[in-house]
Amino acid sequence: MLGYVIRRLAIAVVILFASSFLVYILAAYAGDPLEDLRQSRDPNREALIAQRTAALNLDVPPVLRYFLWLRGAIGCVVPFGATCDLGTSLQGFEVTELLSRAIAQTVLLVTAATILSIVIGIALGIISALRQYSGLDYGVTFMAFLFFSLPVFWVAVLLKEFGAIRFNDFLAEASFSPVAIVLAGIVVGLVVYGASYGTTRTRVLVSGGAAATTMVLMLGIGASGWLRTPFLGIPGILLVGGLISVGVTFLIAGFRNKRALYSGLTAVGVAAIVYFPIQSVLGDDASWLLIAGLGVVTLIVGAVIGYAFGGYDRSQNIRIGALSAFFAGGLVLLDRFMQSWPQYVGHPRIRNRPISTVGSSTPGFDEGFWLSGIDTMTHLILPTAALMLVALAGYSRYSRASMLEIMNMDYIRTARAKGASERSVVMRHAFRNALIPLATLIAFDIGALIGGAVITENVFAFTGMGQLFIQALVIVDLNPLMGVFLVTGILAMVFNLVADLLYSVLDPRVRVKA
Amino acid sequence: MTTNQNDTGVSEDAVAKVADEAVDGLARETEGLSQGQIVRKRFMHNTPAVIAVFVLVFVVLLSLTSIGFGPVPGWWQWGFTEQPPVQNGGRPTLSLTGLGDHPFGQDNLGRDLFAMTMRGTQMTLLVMVLVGVLTGIIGVVIGAASGYFRGWTEAILMRLTDIIIIIPLLILAAVLGRMAITYVDTGVLRVAALGVLIGLFAWTALARLVRAEIMSLREREFVDAARLAGASDVRIIFKHILPNSVGVITVNLTLLLAAAVLLETALSYLGLGVQPPDWSLGRLISANQQAFTTRPWLFWFPGLFIILICLAINFIGDGLRDAFDPRQKKFNPRKAKETDAHMLDETDAVTADAARSGADRDGNAPGPTKPA
Amino acid sequence: MTRRTRILGMVAVGALALTACASQDSTDTATGTDTATDAATAERSGGTIRVAETNAFTSFNPAVGANNLDINSKVLGTMRSDFIYIDNELNIVQDESFGTYELVSEDPLTVTYTVNESSVWSDGNAIDRGDMLLQWAVRSGYFDGDDPEAGPTYFQYAGSTEGLGLTEMPEFDGEQTMTLTYSQPYVDWEIAFGLGDAMPAHVVAEQAGLADEAALVELLETATPGEPNEELQAVADFWNTGYVTNTMPSDESLLLSSGPMIVTDMVADQSVTLGLNESYGGDLAPQADEITVRFIGDAAATIAALRNGEVDIIAPQPTVDSVTEVQGIDGVTVLQGSQLAYDHIDLSFDSEVFADANVREAFLLTLPREQIVDRLIRPINENAEVVNSQLYLPSEGDLYTQSVEQNGSDAYAEVDIEAAQELLDGATPTVRILYNSDNPIRVDTFSLIQESASQAGFVIEDGGSPDWGSELGTGTYDASIFGWISSGVGNAGVPQLFSTTGGGNYSAYSNEEVDALASELMVTTDSDEAEGIKRQIDALLWGDAYGATFFQSPGLVVHSDDVQGVEYMPNQTGVWWNFWEWSLNS
Repeated sequence: MLGYVIRRLAIAVVILFASSFLVYILAAYAGDPLEDLRQSRDPNREALIAQRTAALNLDVPPVLRYFLWLRGAIGCVVPFGATCDLGTSLQGFEVTELLSRAIAQTVLLVTAATILSIVIGIALGIISALRQYSGLDYGVTFMAFLFFSLPVFWVAVLLKEFGAIRFNDFLAEASFSPVAIVLAGIVVGLVVYGASYGTTRTRVLVSGGAAATTMVLMLGIGASGWLRTPFLGIPGILLVGGLISVGVTFLIAGFRNKRALYSGLTAVGVAAIVYFPIQSVLGDDASWLLIAGLGVVTLIVGAVIGYAFGGYDRSQNIRIGALSAFFAGGLVLLDRFMQSWPQYVGHPRIRNRPISTVGSSTPGFDEGFWLSGIDTMTHLILPTAALMLVALAGYSRYSRASMLEIMNMDYIRTARAKGASERSVVMRHAFRNALIPLATLIAFDIGALIGGAVITENVFAFTGMGQLFIQALVIVDLNPLMGVFLVTGILAMVFNLVADLLYSVLDPRVRVKA
Repeated sequence: MTTNQNDTGVSEDAVAKVADEAVDGLARETEGLSQGQIVRKRFMHNTPAVIAVFVLVFVVLLSLTSIGFGPVPGWWQWGFTEQPPVQNGGRPTLSLTGLGDHPFGQDNLGRDLFAMTMRGTQMTLLVMVLVGVLTGIIGVVIGAASGYFRGWTEAILMRLTDIIIIIPLLILAAVLGRMAITYVDTGVLRVAALGVLIGLFAWTALARLVRAEIMSLREREFVDAARLAGASDVRIIFKHILPNSVGVITVNLTLLLAAAVLLETALSYLGLGVQPPDWSLGRLISANQQAFTTRPWLFWFPGLFIILICLAINFIGDGLRDAFDPRQKKFNPRKAKETDAHMLDETDAVTADAARSGADRDGNAPGPTKPA
Repeated sequence: MTRRTRILGMVAVGALALTACASQDSTDTATGTDTATDAATAERSGGTIRVAETNAFTSFNPAVGANNLDINSKVLGTMRSDFIYIDNELNIVQDESFGTYELVSEDPLTVTYTVNESSVWSDGNAIDRGDMLLQWAVRSGYFDGDDPEAGPTYFQYAGSTEGLGLTEMPEFDGEQTMTLTYSQPYVDWEIAFGLGDAMPAHVVAEQAGLADEAALVELLETATPGEPNEELQAVADFWNTGYVTNTMPSDESLLLSSGPMIVTDMVADQSVTLGLNESYGGDLAPQADEITVRFIGDAAATIAALRNGEVDIIAPQPTVDSVTEVQGIDGVTVLQGSQLAYDHIDLSFDSEVFADANVREAFLLTLPREQIVDRLIRPINENAEVVNSQLYLPSEGDLYTQSVEQNGSDAYAEVDIEAAQELLDGATPTVRILYNSDNPIRVDTFSLIQESASQAGFVIEDGGSPDWGSELGTGTYDASIFGWISSGVGNAGVPQLFSTTGGGNYSAYSNEEVDALASELMVTTDSDEAEGIKRQIDALLWGDAYGATFFQSPGLVVHSDDVQGVEYMPNQTGVWWNFWEWSLNS
């Protein structure tokens, strides 16, 4: 295995050189970096041209100039000894500096979108596979293709109109019209009907219940002004956390394992008990480090609870306890953010319009961890949604296909034959194996996303890697352009390797050639 | 998922019975038919895919006949550069009763949006076809050669593929688009150059897929048989191996075509695609994106055509995938459905399979990704 | 406190720029600077005003060629005081709370500049001799070698050194008063020197490794022009590159301000936040406490941000759609106007086709100028009109009207195909027209001209190209459609464009009379006389069928009704010209 990794890395370095050479030459011949100066009417035009030519070595032919660039860049690839020098941009910025900022922006932009699209996409794909040829399946298929076909900037225009501008208008009143409530009820009912199964009577009952619940919730939210002063409180945490815990238990262990259910519910109960004490810890001086630390503590406490319940399958209890605790902890955190929400919305820089359409933060907004956290989230909602909608298509299609294939396997038939419950067949036998090919896809996508969110960045005024690249390309500014390529290229190679290794770990039938 | 096994599960007896019937049924159904005939027959049973074919053919014919192409004139009254006076604020005249003078409306110069959309469709399709043809040829040849000959041929060709594949497609396409702008001056030629340049570099995913496919096929008995019979390498590749991997190739190509349309749209948005005064669908909607709230027709009609083309190609790809899928030999979907064994239905398994076959050797998921 | 002077003319030399990208980036450039009075008091609540700009900030020194971006000038404009600023009627307004200048003698042209003792940098250092001397060294190019290839070249100044290049080493009377003496009269003397983009000399000296400001003064007063000097090179190097940053610099001396505001926060490529400069004591004290500038490149995104209440002032690229859209938004004020940029067609005098004056006249007669304005510009700005002068723009009011009355442009007021056919006498000359094919308005202008001129028998070839700028003046075309941007003040552009050897004379136009008048103009310091000369040139140009002017580029500013005091400004400073008057409704 180690030998294989070393060999792959060695090849990767060679490929990177060749690839960077190719990009360098193509980009160098893509346009004229002196174009703006040639058109200039400055009296000192010649001097400016001479100056830029000297700064960027434009008098050297691109083929040789590549090696000048390489001399500095090689320090960035070799881990020790050399210093990393990617040159400067036309404007005089260090490319390394530009890159580090751009990467931060891009990571901020794509992280949530990637995670959400993977989770939701796979869930949709699995459900539509299990309900193949149903109305739900056709609906998901059509929507997936539709979103795949929509240009991102179009999605962005729609999101801004309805997700930000109209939603902010709506927040001023924060109540639903009767028509909206009825419509939402109908939509939820239809979706649930499509997703549920059983006799027609069961399905009608389930979907009717879901529709009614939705309408009551909307009425309550409107009447209480919950959207303006949202909260969960101990009742909310117990209710929502309890539901999540029951769901997790069902998927992982099934209801027959009472101890599992109890450990999950106990974890949620503990979260409710520490709700008040923990508030003092979540003060204004909180940080992501603190949150992460609390997250770890939560997982441990949950695991201990699961362990304490014992039973024949402790590891199951531990997992359920930890997961339930994790989600309940997340709810406590969410509640803490909600407490700051009214203060955020009323802030003079926000002026009651929280959801934002441009940038990654409100300029000059620095009001402590919680408010700034909300600020980041309100800026990320729309671009995240746009990227997610676009990426959903791929994941849901691939996971559907993968799941369908697995469900046709002999060992699934065997599992059924030996009397395994449907839950067990789907979750234990099919689902895990269906994920294997997706691992490859995901690893590869992450590499591509870092360099590929150009348009989303542009529309939402983020200045990540994509923007850096396009702006450099338009004026044929090779140093930043190559910097972006270097980062995305290295990422692509690394994720490629990770995908291979992951694959051989997940699927024992595949072995890497040593 | 909140029901017990009896609601949905199928008894094992039923499963076995369905499987047997399906296999028998298929055997009977395909008796005496060539591979092509079987595929065609299966494809014809896929209603969405068939509709999609009709839609695509309609779009192609409409765009070619309406404004004509090159020296051939079309039947539509306006050309895409003519500037008749603006009527009624340029609103569309399309209604249930007829087309009217400007069915899709006019822009602020009075140009007929229908004619512009048709021109845009032509250019978009041109890029798409060029990308498709070039990618298909290069991808198949390189994939087949490296998969069949192995050794040095494979090492060199696959490293070449690696070199190109690690450059994100949008980044690569943007550089190529910029080159096309710099070096090619005139309208259609520049659009063609864009298509050719992208086609010359977008074949990598397909090449890997084909290679993986061929590597497994070349070990099969029928290839050994052909080799023993004295067939040349070229003959074995083209007569014996490729026809068996046509499913994977077709499916991947159709998806790539849809991605090419979107790639061109993305490039136009960035100003690196089709250049004025010519139009592509992508340039039409990116030029008119500000009209979204004020003159929505300028945005919606070209957008509708992009979606039509993409949806049609995607559904055709889906249909082809079903039709070519060898696993279909196990079950007949219609029969299976009749016996209510919906757990046993299958479709589009190739996608997952392809993801794996590409992955198990080089770890690359194939399939075009969409620019975001 | 202020004296108003009528501005002399239209095209200022340093600010002349091809409008290559004018249609793409919606914003303007600030070169003017501003000054103010009241120091900020502790318990103000002027609030924050948020402005959207297209480009991202890159440097505190926009006077450097590589960093001469509109946004850099706008931000620096709030951080510098100057003797003058330009108001939105293109008058030069003196800010005597900063300092004064005086024309001492017309022959030889001698001007004295005095900075008030109360005017200081935000670190308390006085604005005095060192600052003025350094600024003069930059703007005069005094120390550079005559041949730019041979060097030495010190300051990479983005503007023209033509005016101050005529001056000798300044003389000082005390620390605050400087006297400049010109070797010959210079028409734009009033805008030749200023501290609107000056860098603090004490900081530059320190950063360049000199002991202090006095050492810099001594260096500048003793260095030999045209000869390499290491110390001076170090000074110039810092001036050229030291101010490039898009994040908050750790060294606060880079942030020094002499103007009403000072940068308090910067987020790279996202925003710049300007707060009050506590040590500012001038007249132009801002009403608002804070101005944040947000960089949004996408025009549609800017409008969405305004609608969503994320920004208060935007200047999107005016198009039919953006204008219609912003007019439909509640609670905003739409300011429409014209920019000091105009589109025009120039005929190449060195092309065979246009060597014949009759063909030139015939071609001009076929130009559908009214139709171009009507179809392309009026939907964006309903008050737009055809420009009928090569030297003045309608924004300039009386001066424009006076010139149009006598320049003979009325001969081409309407399309006259028959007259054109008569002049052509059956010939069908081929005309290749160069234009920027990336600019939709130019593309459309070309289409309209093509259709009209063809009727008279002209064969119009499409010479459109995105690289049109590099083709200018190469003789590969017969006519060119493009735009000029003017700063609204100064006359130095006139010989640049129209004299035989002018750097912007791309159409090989040559008329001895015009050459003589243009030279005379440059040494005329009396404004009325100067206008008279320009009117004569205008008439000569139309008489020679030099070309035709079409329209002023439309401008668009939209601001939320929460903000008061925003006024339209045609020049490149845009709304920033009176930022100190912006206030927020409470």
